[in-house]
Amino acid sequence: MNELGASLEASSLSQLIKDVTWIIPLLQSIHIVTIGVVFVSSLMIAMRVLGRMRADEPFPVVWQRFAPWMWYGLIVMVVTGALLVVGGPVREFTAFSFWLKMALLAVAVIATFVFGRTFAAQGGGGAAPSTTRADAPAMPAGGVAAYAGAAGVGQGRSGSGGIADASGVARAVGVVSATGTSSHTAAVDAPRVASGSGVLDASGVAAAEFSPGAKAVAVGIIVVWLAVIFLGRAIAYDVEVWGSLSLHN
Amino acid sequence: MSLVSVVQSIQDSGVAEWMRTSVKAMPIIEAIHVLAAATVFGTIFIVDLRLLGFPNTRRPFTRVSDEMLKLTWGAFFTALVTGALMFAANANTYYENTAFRFKMLALLLAGVNMAIFQLVTFRTVGGWNSDARPPSAARVAGMLSILVWLTVIFFARWIGFTKGYHFEAPPADVDFTF
Repeated sequence: MNELGASLEASSLSQLIKDVTWIIPLLQSIHIVTIGVVFVSSLMIAMRVLGRMRADEPFPVVWQRFAPWMWYGLIVMVVTGALLVVGGPVREFTAFSFWLKMALLAVAVIATFVFGRTFAAQGGGGAAPSTTRADAPAMPAGGVAAYAGAAGVGQGRSGSGGIADASGVARAVGVVSATGTSSHTAAVDAPRVASGSGVLDASGVAAAEFSPGAKAVAVGIIVVWLAVIFLGRAIAYDVEVWGSLSLHN
Repeated sequence: MSLVSVVQSIQDSGVAEWMRTSVKAMPIIEAIHVLAAATVFGTIFIVDLRLLGFPNTRRPFTRVSDEMLKLTWGAFFTALVTGALMFAANANTYYENTAFRFKMLALLLAGVNMAIFQLVTFRTVGGWNSDARPPSAARVAGMLSILVWLTVIFFARWIGFTKGYHFEAPPADVDFTF
């Protein structure tokens, strides 16, 4: 690591990054912007798992909406991060925050990947019938078909989705898919309708689609992301933050 | 009381003194500030993309904005408090800093853009709420918002390289063994 740091520090690319005044601020700005995009995308997915955000959309829809932003943002993050490391390898490699950040970043990426593959492929713990909500928008036929199709994945694989419960919601969505028009009737009048995956509240939103374990993982991923962002800034203050643990000592 | 004397009194305050003398205050406050700023941008970006009609056009604009803006305001308030603490620590330096002034100007523009959108364009939201392609005024507001917030973040980082003090890299002969 010592040799790598020294050789990177002496490289022409490192010199260029250090010498041109605007390169590091620009790289840091892009890095922070993509962190915002990746973190919030991850947050949206986690909040959906917790039922606190977009609970009216099936999990695979939410996953497909945000996962590409997360993965592409991650690529930009890695590229800009790598260039910043090349621009100051000694500072980075001697920072305890840097290594902890790298470790937690790996944990966050792997956990998110496994989590998404597991639940998006299975259609989550079930699909919330948003098209049955009273305030549901009139959607284009194609959109509704795709929506219902995504929900159908949950129905088929998990066998416990909100779509497939005994409340008549399944038929409502089926009608939407077949006719290309939205229906607002099925769950509106039902104060609380038991479903295979949990309980639907008055608005037809599935309240408990995911297991407590899955929710704990979602919370864990967000906590790890918060730590990653925090540590990214703490690199500049490694001694102040970590004291004797800092490798700068 | 002039603005300069107000800035000086901020720098002389007890909070400012605590920010300067506490070993961990500045790193922790600054890290939280970056976290909050990233969250503000990420959440506003989702709303702005919806205004631009991209990519999730099935979702009504009001639903997207309602669920996002709670997070945005929470993060913005956090960024405001942490930013004020950072400003207090070196108020005179920040006040004189051009990048800081541009950042404040960009924040003001973001506010003006949002106010115009809320007072004018949003009044007709009922007519385009579920449209895949919102009206041009809404799209312009979305595009301006993205550009202005990118500017805010760039100048925020630029401040760190122009405010007169830097965190130097450790000496090159540091022992890497660990």
